[in-house]
Amino acid sequence: MKKILLSMVLASAVIATPAMSETVRIGTEGAYAPYNYVDDNGKLAGYEIDLGNALCAEAGLTCEFVANEWDSIIPNLVAGNYDAIMAGMSITDERKQTINFSEEYYPSEPSKYAAAAGMSFDMMSLSGKKIGVQGATIQAAYAEEHFGANNTIMSFKTFDDSVADLAAGNLDLLLADGDPLNPVIEASAGALAFVGEGVRIGGGVGIGMRKDDTDLAVKMNAAIAALKANGTVDKLIKEYFDNGPFYAQ
Amino acid sequence: MLETLPDWLSGLFSEDVRSSLAYITNGKHLAWYASIRFTLIAAIGGATVAVLFGLVGAALKQSRIMPFKLIGDFYTTIVRGVPDVLFILFFPLAFEQAVEYFLARSVCEPEVLAAATQWPPCEAAQWFLTTTDYLIMACVSLGIVYGAFAANVIHGAMQAVPKGQLEAAAAYGFTPRQVFWRFKVRQMWVYALPGLSNVWMLLLKATSLLSLLQIADIVQWAARLGSANYYSRVGLVHPDWRWKYYLVLFVFFIVMTMLSERFFAALQARASRGMSLAGSD
Repeated sequence: MKKILLSMVLASAVIATPAMSETVRIGTEGAYAPYNYVDDNGKLAGYEIDLGNALCAEAGLTCEFVANEWDSIIPNLVAGNYDAIMAGMSITDERKQTINFSEEYYPSEPSKYAAAAGMSFDMMSLSGKKIGVQGATIQAAYAEEHFGANNTIMSFKTFDDSVADLAAGNLDLLLADGDPLNPVIEASAGALAFVGEGVRIGGGVGIGMRKDDTDLAVKMNAAIAALKANGTVDKLIKEYFDNGPFYAQ
Repeated sequence: MLETLPDWLSGLFSEDVRSSLAYITNGKHLAWYASIRFTLIAAIGGATVAVLFGLVGAALKQSRIMPFKLIGDFYTTIVRGVPDVLFILFFPLAFEQAVEYFLARSVCEPEVLAAATQWPPCEAAQWFLTTTDYLIMACVSLGIVYGAFAANVIHGAMQAVPKGQLEAAAAYGFTPRQVFWRFKVRQMWVYALPGLSNVWMLLLKATSLLSLLQIADIVQWAARLGSANYYSRVGLVHPDWRWKYYLVLFVFFIVMTMLSERFFAALQARASRGMSLAGSD
């Protein structure tokens, strides 16, 4: 038995040798257009993939994107499955307790409410409503805190799932980032609409990294500053988000 | 994909057909079709492990040595009762942590080990599971769960081998081991195959759980492709089409079932050659 265990451990030691090469693995969701998505060729694409590659070129790193489901994206970073997260993740104090963030690479944007067209809600005194959010997001935490007592908060695995349930009429309200919601409202041809005022919940979007990975943080922050200064970040924002918000005045 | 067709052939299709063809043969869809390999590997690998566990389990169950018999009975009773979903979630995780535990003992510095607050205690004891690792784990998990069913089937089939055959073999001077392998195991297949084909069907269906292990299998791709898309940059803009994709999976599994039935019928015919079975003589 000892022998079996030993050989098992040895075999896994060979597999488990930590990546000593310079390749930085970046985890992303691949289901959050236009930040990150899987394109028609089955490859990861989007604002963060283009920006991540530009940042790595600037910092002299070899990078590789890997897809990981949203709800396990932080645990798997901490576990070392990849070295950084670029997945439309807002910088928040709660997340900072577990991981480290770079400077933001996309400005803070208000989250928005979507509902079936023609509905109106009093956001101050919502009660008995079904409110959809994507699980483990800043919107999920916000909805739970502000509406959790008198409403049902329905948490979905992906953004797409939450939209599907709103479109199917299973939700009264959907609270989500404005950027992925915009094309949804446009494509719904009047069936869905934004309601109420947007709420500013989290900070800007930044790269998540392990707390002890300070080298990478220094390199990434320098690269972000450089690409903001030379206009690459704004150019990519223009390409994927049309009208901003931009970093240049 | 479509561009590779000669002009005279693609010219035969109308514009609508051509765009649909282009859609279902784009890279995303090809990746979906290619992901069938995970399902097939898990099914065949799982079945192989299941038959091995089944043989061992059945041998243990009819052992005359008490502890062996207890192990065999324990295995078939307990494992058959655990839902496969639970086992697929439990086994890879438990195995990974066990390996990391022993790895940590040998590679982490003792003071780091003592002060560790997180898992694993040190970076070097980290075992990162790749898709291949997960696939192997899935095969083993499925093999253990369905091996318990297979053990019962094989055990029953061994009992069904006519006693006279075995007694005759013993009378001819074969040793007990030879009697077991050359007569009992050799003849039990014909009784075991109908039951094993059922176990195979269950196992095949259980491969739809692969996505639980972060394997991008046919089920996960179907959900991804079917999700509504509102952003033309991502690809074709369409509403929630998941039901269509799931329907394709229904058909896939039904076709697999039909093929399996034929395969087992052929196998049964082959295994029954020269045997006189009750009711057939």
